[in-house]
Amino acid sequence: MSRARSSNLARALLAAALLAGLGTFAACAHQDSNAAPDQTPAAADDGRVGYVRMDDLVKVHPLYAQLAHLDEDMQALQLKAVGSSVAQNGADIAKAEKELQHELDVAADQTKKALADKQQDYMKREQAAINAAVGAAAGAGPGGGGIAGSILANARKQQQQAAELAQKNYDAYRNQVAAQSDAAARSLQQSLAAEASRTYRAKAEALSKAEADYALQQETDDASERLSLRTKLSNLALDDDTRADVRKQLDALDQKEADELAAMKNRDSATLADLQKQLHDQVQTQLDAQVGDLRKRTLAKLNERMLETRRGLVAQLGAPAAGGGAAIPNGIGPDMKAKLQALHDQYQAQFNADAAQTIAQFQKTRADLTDRFRRIAGVDAGAQAGANKQLGALQKQRGELYDEMVAQIGREVKAVAQKRGVNVVISDVVAPAGGVDLTADAEKDIESLHE
Amino acid sequence: MRISFTHRLAVALGATLFGLASLAPATLAADVTDIGYVDQAALSNIPQFTSANRQLADFKAQLDRQFASEVRGVKDANTQARIAQEFQNKLATRQRDLFGPLFQRAQVAIASVASSKNLSVVVDKRIVIVGGQDVTSSVVDLLTGPGDPIPPVNTPPPSSVGYVDQTQIDAIPKLKAANDDFQKFQADQQTQAQAKLKSAKTDADRQQVLKDYQSALADKQKQEIAPLVDQTRSAIAGVAKKRGLLLVIDRSNLIYGGTDITSDVTSALK
Repeated sequence: MSRARSSNLARALLAAALLAGLGTFAACAHQDSNAAPDQTPAAADDGRVGYVRMDDLVKVHPLYAQLAHLDEDMQALQLKAVGSSVAQNGADIAKAEKELQHELDVAADQTKKALADKQQDYMKREQAAINAAVGAAAGAGPGGGGIAGSILANARKQQQQAAELAQKNYDAYRNQVAAQSDAAARSLQQSLAAEASRTYRAKAEALSKAEADYALQQETDDASERLSLRTKLSNLALDDDTRADVRKQLDALDQKEADELAAMKNRDSATLADLQKQLHDQVQTQLDAQVGDLRKRTLAKLNERMLETRRGLVAQLGAPAAGGGAAIPNGIGPDMKAKLQALHDQYQAQFNADAAQTIAQFQKTRADLTDRFRRIAGVDAGAQAGANKQLGALQKQRGELYDEMVAQIGREVKAVAQKRGVNVVISDVVAPAGGVDLTADAEKDIESLHE
Repeated sequence: MRISFTHRLAVALGATLFGLASLAPATLAADVTDIGYVDQAALSNIPQFTSANRQLADFKAQLDRQFASEVRGVKDANTQARIAQEFQNKLATRQRDLFGPLFQRAQVAIASVASSKNLSVVVDKRIVIVGGQDVTSSVVDLLTGPGDPIPPVNTPPPSSVGYVDQTQIDAIPKLKAANDDFQKFQADQQTQAQAKLKSAKTDADRQQVLKDYQSALADKQKQEIAPLVDQTRSAIAGVAKKRGLLLVIDRSNLIYGGTDITSDVTSALK
């Protein structure tokens, strides 16, 4: 904010520099003229000096309606640019982002709950199937199903606790590795961009210095010729033809230097544009390659940790632990174990397919919301830039139209002045006194342009 | 060696200009008035000014980098503002150093040319529609020529063109109060219009909001500003007539000479 203010001020100072400075010419001269305020003004008499009210003349010009229309468009654009649907302000964007974040959180919670519900459901169904299978194997003996159920329930509880703990540890590890990976990718990106920026700046500065050196060299080479011509021109008694001839030579010299320097600058601009593109491509390629490697390493770490966790669980519980399947206890016959394993695999596959569908839905929702995030974040800069561009184009159009109108008015005023024998006509007078007001006559002439 | 040559050249030029200043009026007065004008845009294109502009732009780019580095990590708004102010001061100082001598030189050149052509006033080219003497090229020649322009020995003759410093007139309490009131009104209207634009559903609604906004501003201007503008114009015209002036222009359009009637006008308006 402060920087922007600083830059704005600097720009304003730069723009005002010349005019402000020239204003000081007047300031000093004014002191001189103020020294003798009661002296009677001489020279121009009221038969020779006239004035026009340019605002009034512009209003009767045939193109005024067009100018007024442009003014209205600009005013409307200025109002809209900070107000309504063209661009949202920071608070609006923050609010919209908060709403989207809330939607994303809700979707994530719903997905998590749906997955947990499905897991419970599949576990129950698998457990029921295992109970039925074990009960059938226990055969005719009373309470066979109940015994099997009790054994399996204990085993399942142990497995669930161990799996939860393992999952928790794994999640913590995954978050830590992901954060490290993100930080490394960001750092890499910054480092590559900074390096490219340094290279570009160095080249730009070198070219700029070479241009300055070249300009200086040109100046030095032509100094004696220029000095000679300038000396001639400084002589106010020089006759008009000689003056024009000398000025022509001087202009040719200036033009030659300007053309040569402009050619050099064009070449340098092209060089810089090529370099910029080359650096951009280079940074992108390096970034893609290195971030790809980084991701591969991260994934490998996570897979390794996952396998390690599974191995630990299998060693601890002696049964498959993944996917929330029901427990298959140790100490049962190989046939039954194979049967139960087949049952587990079947339910695990069904659960995986169902869960994959739920996750895919969540990912789609997340992608949609991410798109909306981007649109909202981009709308401010995009719309503001668009509005500014449009405003700039309108201002340019207005300036050109106004200049065209003033030039035409000038021609009409000149004709009127000639008719009235007025030598000098000034516009934008603060107040008339004794000068000849040519506005009414000029208005008539300008109005006749409508016909 | 070089200094000595420049010095001799300057003295020679001074003598020439002095001679011309005393001869010029007789030859020029026959077919031209004593009103001259300068194209300030052309002056800004002379090598000394473009070079100074380039140096200032380089300095500013350097300052921008320093500022970005210094302000990085500073979260306190007051500290940020203080640092920004320091950098602005540095830029302003550099600007004065670079442009001050150039402006002074240009001022002398304009005065010298005006004096040699017996002009009582030099104004900005933009306000001259017909006639007047274009002294731009003579001023540019003096500025780009060897040596420094020689200041004229005489002060500008009394001019029939007067000028007022509008900023001083605007500072008169009753005018300032009216202007501040209008600015506040405009800001309020703008806020209201923006709020209405947000809720406007159709293009016709939006057009109406804009129309109402423009109409409110025009009414307020007509009601409060226009009478004061008329009063001011009338005061300026009255003073100008008393002082025997033909026209009065704003100081921002004046470059040299002219008759300052600002204090008479402010007294008349108080």
